[in-house]
Amino acid sequence: MRKRPGKKKLDKSMWQSFKVFLKSIRGYRFPIIVAIILTIGSAILGLFIPKILGDMTTIAVTTYPEMDWSALGGKAILAIVLFISSAILNYAQAYILAVVSAKYTRELREKILEKIFRLPIAYFDKHQYGDTLSRMANDVDVLTTSMSQEIADISLSLTTLIGVMIIMLTISVPLSLISFVVVPVSVIVVGKIMKYAQKYFREQQSTLGVLNSEIEEDYAGEIVIKSNSYEGPALAEFSKINEKLTMVSRRAQIYSSLSFPVTHIFTNLGYVAVCALGGVFVVQNIINIGDIQAFIQYVSRFNRPITEIASTTSTLQALLAASERVFEFLNEPEEEPDAEPARIVENIKGEVEFHHVDFGYLPGTPVIKDFSVKVEPGMKVAIVGPTGAGKTTLINLLMRFYETDSGYITIDGVPTREMKRADVRKLFGMVLQDTWLFSGTVEENLRYGNLHASLDDIRKAAKASNVDHIIEALPKNYHSEISEDSDNISAGEKQLITIARAMVANPPMMILDEATSNVDTRTEQLIQDSFEKLTHGRTSFVIAHRLSTIRNSDLILVMKDGAIAEQGNHEQLLKKNGFYAELYNSQFSEN
Amino acid sequence: MFKLFRFLKPYWWQLIILILATGVQVWTTLRLPALMADIINDGIVPGNTDYIWVTGARMIGLAVISAISSLVSSYFAARVGTSYARDVREAIFTRIINFNLLDLKEFSTASLITRTTNDVNQVQMVTIMIFAIMLRAPLFLVISIIMAIQTAPDMSWIIMVGAVSIIGSAILIMSLVMPKFKIFQELIDKITLITRENLTGLKVVRAFDNEKLEKKKFTKTNDALTKLLIFIDKVLELQNPLINIIFNGTTLLCSWVGISLLSKDFAYLGNMTAFAQYVGHVMMSFLMMSMLFVMLPRANVSAHRINDVLKRVPKINWKNKTNGVPDREAKVEFKNVDFCYPEANEKVLGDVSFEAKAGETTAFIGSTGSGKSTLINLVPRFYEATAGEILINGLSIKEYAKDDLMKRIGYVPQRGMLFAGTVKSNIKFGAPDATDEDMRKSARIAQAENFIEKLPEKYNSHISQGGTNVSGGQKQRLSIARAICKKPDIFIFDDAFSALDMKTDARLREALKEITDSAVVLIVAQRVSTIKDAEQIVVLDNGRVVGKGTHLELLKKCKVYQEIVKSQFSDQEFKTEMKKAEKGGRRA
Repeated sequence: MRKRPGKKKLDKSMWQSFKVFLKSIRGYRFPIIVAIILTIGSAILGLFIPKILGDMTTIAVTTYPEMDWSALGGKAILAIVLFISSAILNYAQAYILAVVSAKYTRELREKILEKIFRLPIAYFDKHQYGDTLSRMANDVDVLTTSMSQEIADISLSLTTLIGVMIIMLTISVPLSLISFVVVPVSVIVVGKIMKYAQKYFREQQSTLGVLNSEIEEDYAGEIVIKSNSYEGPALAEFSKINEKLTMVSRRAQIYSSLSFPVTHIFTNLGYVAVCALGGVFVVQNIINIGDIQAFIQYVSRFNRPITEIASTTSTLQALLAASERVFEFLNEPEEEPDAEPARIVENIKGEVEFHHVDFGYLPGTPVIKDFSVKVEPGMKVAIVGPTGAGKTTLINLLMRFYETDSGYITIDGVPTREMKRADVRKLFGMVLQDTWLFSGTVEENLRYGNLHASLDDIRKAAKASNVDHIIEALPKNYHSEISEDSDNISAGEKQLITIARAMVANPPMMILDEATSNVDTRTEQLIQDSFEKLTHGRTSFVIAHRLSTIRNSDLILVMKDGAIAEQGNHEQLLKKNGFYAELYNSQFSEN
Repeated sequence: MFKLFRFLKPYWWQLIILILATGVQVWTTLRLPALMADIINDGIVPGNTDYIWVTGARMIGLAVISAISSLVSSYFAARVGTSYARDVREAIFTRIINFNLLDLKEFSTASLITRTTNDVNQVQMVTIMIFAIMLRAPLFLVISIIMAIQTAPDMSWIIMVGAVSIIGSAILIMSLVMPKFKIFQELIDKITLITRENLTGLKVVRAFDNEKLEKKKFTKTNDALTKLLIFIDKVLELQNPLINIIFNGTTLLCSWVGISLLSKDFAYLGNMTAFAQYVGHVMMSFLMMSMLFVMLPRANVSAHRINDVLKRVPKINWKNKTNGVPDREAKVEFKNVDFCYPEANEKVLGDVSFEAKAGETTAFIGSTGSGKSTLINLVPRFYEATAGEILINGLSIKEYAKDDLMKRIGYVPQRGMLFAGTVKSNIKFGAPDATDEDMRKSARIAQAENFIEKLPEKYNSHISQGGTNVSGGQKQRLSIARAICKKPDIFIFDDAFSALDMKTDARLREALKEITDSAVVLIVAQRVSTIKDAEQIVVLDNGRVVGKGTHLELLKKCKVYQEIVKSQFSDQEFKTEMKKAEKGGRRA
């Protein structure tokens, strides 16, 4: 009894998502209704065939041994016409639903992509990419395929069921009643079995998830397991979960395969009863022989829709679960719309000012408190501090990937909040630590920030960022295909390409992340050199790791525990003998 | 697929029951139409009511037997199928956990996970289907044909007509659709790729305001996918109507032929109905089998992927018991060691020799691809040297039992890796018998004490799978504590300090001195500052040792080392360092 409220709530949320789903297919309601009508038509036409075949037998028996061939031929032709037109209607329906579901799939996928663009960046701090990807790929797929399947199945099954019942009743009421008695029993039993099967399938899914993360950990940490001789315990833990998975999946299999023999026995019992009793009826001349033949066929047609309707509940559940995940994503709150009318900064000078900025990723845990600084045009600003001190936070705020909690940032005196986000972002060139290249040619990647750049501009930028000779060394030089995980270019070279990309875009201000781990010394020098060219004459913000950069900066912002601890230039900060001095000395202390 | 069936061996008796039960079920099911024909011919036509009742009772008996045998076969199919899947999974896991780094590199973690879970599931599903269909369908096929011919020999040509049209239509549809499936998969992969790119590059896309461009790319692929999907569906959906036409057509044919044969023998009245049902069974069997042929290739791919793992024989053979007595004093010695990847021409490491003594730090530096990380991974035999000899405490590593070698080594990988559990279970991972005192000391030395004390439950705080609930730097410090807690003879830090900020790095190295009096410390590093104080620095370039000595010695004589220092220090600092080196000062 205590489980009740939980169950009710689940049903309610499922019902909610079902309503959202129905609303989303409203645009397709006309073709869907046509498809349903076609299904019904096709099913009805098909229903008369056994009856006609039975009539043929009756004609044959009654006119035996002369046989009325013209009557028989007429019936046969009627049967052929019926089943061919039934097939044509059936195909027409399938065709319509195929087009509908393909279009609906396309629409949903496109909506998800658009949604990705409109979600605040913060959404992805809390949600893994894999989750969104599986909504895009799996859930949409499940939703649309089970949708068209469901529409066809339910309408076909219901029509067949009702139609068969009516025809059976017209042939013989007592025989029909015998067959009908079997139905509710079989439905109830199968329903119960299915419920258990569902339960174990769900358990199988969750156990599989547990197993998955267990082995993910073991495989990823294999060297640690090896070097600590932990194989024994790891295998024991694995076996425990493996055993559990086997037990639940066995139960799920057994229960789901039960439904077939169980319905089968009910079918067979009905069948036998009809055969025997029908035979007796014929002998007693209550009905004729052809009808009994037809009736036997109807009994077998009668059972299929019942098992099908019983199994739709599981498809329906899959559909609802998928629609819940898809529409949950589509209904996430989006970024606030841009200010209307938006302000534009023309002839940008590059003066940036933070005015009493407060910010926290989570409400109640401020990361930046009452931060103010004025950056003059052309200044180089270095942001330094230990790992995890929140250096990227400042960049996130500058680029409006996140919004300040209070206070504001101005560019040439115009608050960024009153500008369009895209316009703010276009003012900055960005070279981040994780180089992001999309799969495409080198040229396409370089042109990413300025789609109208000429090939000449691109080459010039590549030369300036010391990546020209590397590109020329690639098999198809500027037309070579590259991607994030392509290994024909190294991490350092990728970074050089992102620098060239920023140069092609030629923005008035720059944001750079210097962290260049995993880069060999020569490439590192090239990167450093390109960085210098890039920041020359531009207001620039650098997350600095090199002392040379830090020293040459006009302003150093020292971050500690997420807040700005100190600001000034190198000499001022050293003299202060505070956190910066400590940081600096820890690297280059004289013993 | 069939190679994997060796795992079915322990379940042979269950399989026999399964086959017997299936046989009984098929036979009983197929007897029913024959009995029905008897009812019509010998009961209804002569008007014999008693015969009808008796035969009816027999039919009920058969129906019950059929259901019971069906239950039995379903049960054993599920039982054997799942046990089999469990054994395959366990075999894979055991094999993978004994892989060395070469094998792991070749397969990638993600693909190994898929092989252990999804691929096995795929195989399990198809195996159970084979039990259900592959056993049943051929039996149905053969018995139906025999019974059909028995009931109405003159009509047996109809079976041919039905079978040929069913097989023909299945082949037609499959040959149209199959080639498209590959393209379909490619398009789906491309959709995923573009989406993934847009997720990982979220900030870049927005920074360049290129949402429209990205959407255009996506729409192009999405439209192509939609078109293809419609085509595939259009063809696939032909199947149902075609099958309906064939079924109805053959049934009509049976009636027509049966009726025309009535004048010859009135028994065709019952027989044609039974015959129509047999023909139905024959066509159903073909359909079922064609379904299996669609499933089988997919499962085969999975089976291949599983076999690839199982086939892989571990390349490194460990002694069961350590052969020889290692020295008490810790020491690592490389004698002319080469390493090269199998089937590669170029050596990753060539002729590497050095000696690392107890109480001293030996550091390795060099650009990416210089082989420093590979070198350090030869010590715990994650890779196997292709030539030369590596000695630990005076004994070749090949003479050690695995656990005996590993207990001497405290290894800290490049990326901090933790396991689900608590802070405590992670630190004591390699030394389950360590005291809490040892654990705290290890945490303190690893500079982890501060943040652990701030956690809500301190050492009993929960660590989630893969350590995702602590930061990268914290993970790294905990993995260092884990190595310290083992009290090993040899510490190996494979670029383990890069994730730490310079200050923590410096403090940690200072604290480490406290416990490394009698231990060998091997460090791979990117930053010169990390290794400046090492007693011995080994400089690698393209897999060769190009310099060996202290910081100042190397500054004086090793060009590669000079270059590295120059790239990391400011000009002024570099000059001071050089001056110190020229003075010949041995102080770092």
